[in-house]
Amino acid sequence: MSTPDPRAQPDDAVIDLLIKHITEGLSPAEQRELDVLDSALSSSYRRDLERAAAAVSLVAATKDGLPPALRQRLQQQADSHCATLGNPPVASLASRSARVPRRSRWAASSGWLAAAACLLLAVAGWYRSPSSVVIAPVAQLPPVAPSAPVAPQAPAPSLTEQRAALLTKQGSIQIPLGATKDPAAAGVVGDVVWDPATQTGFMRFVGLAANDPKVRQYQIWIFDGSRDKRYPVDGGIFDVPAEAGEIVVPIRAGVPVRVAAAFAVTVEKPGGVVVSSRAHVVVLGAKS
Amino acid sequence: MPPLSPSVLQRIATGEPAAVRECIDEYGALVWSIARRLSRTPADAEDATQEIFLDIWRSAGRFDATQGSDKVFIAMIARRRLIDRLRKTSSEPPMDSVDVLESVAWSDPGTASETSLEAEQAARALQELRPEQREVLELGLLHGLSQSEIATRLGMPLGTVKSFMRRGLIKVREFLHVDAHSVSEGA
Repeated sequence: MSTPDPRAQPDDAVIDLLIKHITEGLSPAEQRELDVLDSALSSSYRRDLERAAAAVSLVAATKDGLPPALRQRLQQQADSHCATLGNPPVASLASRSARVPRRSRWAASSGWLAAAACLLLAVAGWYRSPSSVVIAPVAQLPPVAPSAPVAPQAPAPSLTEQRAALLTKQGSIQIPLGATKDPAAAGVVGDVVWDPATQTGFMRFVGLAANDPKVRQYQIWIFDGSRDKRYPVDGGIFDVPAEAGEIVVPIRAGVPVRVAAAFAVTVEKPGGVVVSSRAHVVVLGAKS
Repeated sequence: MPPLSPSVLQRIATGEPAAVRECIDEYGALVWSIARRLSRTPADAEDATQEIFLDIWRSAGRFDATQGSDKVFIAMIARRRLIDRLRKTSSEPPMDSVDVLESVAWSDPGTASETSLEAEQAARALQELRPEQREVLELGLLHGLSQSEIATRLGMPLGTVKSFMRRGLIKVREFLHVDAHSVSEGA
């Protein structure tokens, strides 16, 4: 098999396809076509074209500074990232704490878009009274590494204690969670405590099916009423051990949630999803 | 000749925690500048910026100074993430208003705010393009408009848009390539 000559100029059609890939992305059919033609294109040519596009971006770049709030979030994210580097993911939530919120993943397919839109509509009329929430004895997930600098705490209060404290905080809200018809959610009850001021919160469940983290994980989503409803905020992933009883899970919203309108939990592949073929919603809760 | 001190990216790759934060100071304005233009809303731009920095930290080990400057490396990562986000929301209308689109000013060689060899080379290449070719590149590369959208906006046949985009990028590539050869030959 011959190696493509890096000096050779590929056909215009191949270059056009590659440029489209670099500038706007390809449809699945176009991607397959590019994959077929890939052998005719030297890797250095591809890299050079992408480098050229990046260099053009530099020409028109401005020196405007980051918005202060964004800078602060990035710094928190940096600290979380560093914490993760030094600590292998003993608990999925700990490793998740360094992940960036990926609201776009919800919109990665039309199925998700439809599901998310329907989700909000469904949530609005789904729940009746918080009084139906029943909580059983506690079995906690492993404590999580803080995602942002917090005041030193020794010993750290348990998640249950943190949740209880947050519940008494003025301005915090409590929202009941209910199960969908998903098999993993049969008989699940729970609630959400969320504090808009500190952007912290906890989900509490009883009856959520145990998961094998190597096969699937639960993922939290927050629907922000001030944002596009198709892009719920990623609230982190978590696992449920076997015979867990009650579990309390911290919510880690990586971007500010202005109006927490609803919360949901989905089942996803380990580490969360980039593209999901269909919604797998197990728990929902909406602010009344 | 004393060895060059490691770049922020190289220090991140070796696991130096302070470099992770320094990266924000070093490249925050660049990432933000690219993200604002290639996002549909300010909130999207902020989310994208957070995603891009995570990509940068995770990819720092792949940075090879012999293949280009750190700023081009950063811009490539940023563009990939932003194009991916735009593609996923391609059914939505572009956010950029006409005002924003018209606000872009190509820098002359030597005055680009992002000082790097590649920026200089690209600026020189752009100067050799016809205004309509530059406009196509601007709309496609800086504002994330699809080629079809550019054709509609400029009242141009799609084939012409593709041709302008192709020739323009090849021109920039040639300028980068020529200088890369100059560097390697002079080394």
